[in-house]
Amino acid sequence: MLDDKLVKGLLLRTAARDEGSALAFERLYQMCAPLLLGVAKRIVGRQELAEEILHDSFTKIWSAADRFDVLANQPVAWMVAIARNRAIDTMASHDVSRVGSYHDNSLDDPDGALDKLFDWGEAADESEDRRRASAWMRDCLGRLQGVERQSLVLAYVEGLSHGELAIHLRKPLGTVKSWVRRGMANLRQCVEACMGNAG
Amino acid sequence: MKFAGHRLLDALCAEYLLGTLRGGARRRFEAARKDEPLVDLRLRHWEAIGTPRYSKMMEIQPRPQLWQRLERDLDLSQYRQRWYQRTGFWKAWAWVATAAFLLVLAVSVRTLPIATSVPPEIAQLSGANGSTQITARRSKDGGTLVLQANRPILAGPNQSYELWVIPGRGVAPISLAVLGNLDATITLPRDAIAHVHAGATLAISTEPAGGSPTGLPTGTIIAAGQVAS
Repeated sequence: MLDDKLVKGLLLRTAARDEGSALAFERLYQMCAPLLLGVAKRIVGRQELAEEILHDSFTKIWSAADRFDVLANQPVAWMVAIARNRAIDTMASHDVSRVGSYHDNSLDDPDGALDKLFDWGEAADESEDRRRASAWMRDCLGRLQGVERQSLVLAYVEGLSHGELAIHLRKPLGTVKSWVRRGMANLRQCVEACMGNAG
Repeated sequence: MKFAGHRLLDALCAEYLLGTLRGGARRRFEAARKDEPLVDLRLRHWEAIGTPRYSKMMEIQPRPQLWQRLERDLDLSQYRQRWYQRTGFWKAWAWVATAAFLLVLAVSVRTLPIATSVPPEIAQLSGANGSTQITARRSKDGGTLVLQANRPILAGPNQSYELWVIPGRGVAPISLAVLGNLDATITLPRDAIAHVHAGATLAISTEPAGGSPTGLPTGTIIAAGQVAS
């Protein structure tokens, strides 16, 4: 599990644009590139495309490091979001649809995928709040209806659009959209309830 | 379009984090996040609810060439410390320089005296059974005698060795030094220097601690030899 504090320090050093910036950026790359490449590959499905996305993502991270919010606590998530969005845009701009070839069977078992693809354990650098939030998230995902959970996992991990979800799940677009919205709303309510109970 | 009071703001935040907010809709939402503090605040709330962390299983090690290309494209070399700017480099340099200086010094100390002041050998002193061999060397000015034994030979606690010179047949031995061991450098008594000449005999006797009480050898002669030059 990547150390958010360390990643944040490297991002800030990268943003400084001084003689230590390249070294900090190189360390940042060494630490995070494997994850970003994995996330991109999962979405685009092709190694060479994923490598292009990795290149573009780190180019953006280099140029946008000075805009990273120093108060933000999730720099890894910020970097992953850059790679995910880039991968999603890349797929949207490609003619060939990847539906039917993109997913592994484990995603049809969202419960198994949740524990395989995500790390719900405690990271050494995590605050007590983060540890609790992580546990609530896992618990609340487990309480969602199966179709909601599967829709959310497929959208998040594979970067599927509503339309691609509808094709993959063989359901009308409206149905899938409502699963996604309801799933996220239920997830939020559940986690907020946990927060309220904890407070 | 203002997103801050939008009835679907929560749904938009959720879809943005999930990745299902696409294209122009996503870009407008990102712009709103910058421009409208309430949108940013709401999105932070959603992020705080939880952004799951990917497991190690997701990771794929990139090829080394990818970093090289990135480094070249971003021209990162201008943001690197030059070798001469690195504190580590100068620290290492200082250590190496110091070590090299000490090495040169040590070599000089060891080699210079040997090269310049190793006195020439003037005699080999041998024991009766041949097991004791002592080389005697004399400095060029004649005032210093260096004894080197073939093995450590130390006097006992109540014993001393005494070095004598016998200038010629029938001439009484003259004491040159009282010794604790037979690896020794001796400054010859001024009036004895002339007696250590070719043909004279050097001899070592065992004596009571502190040397011969009589001024002549009283104990066993353990080694003797003739001065050659």
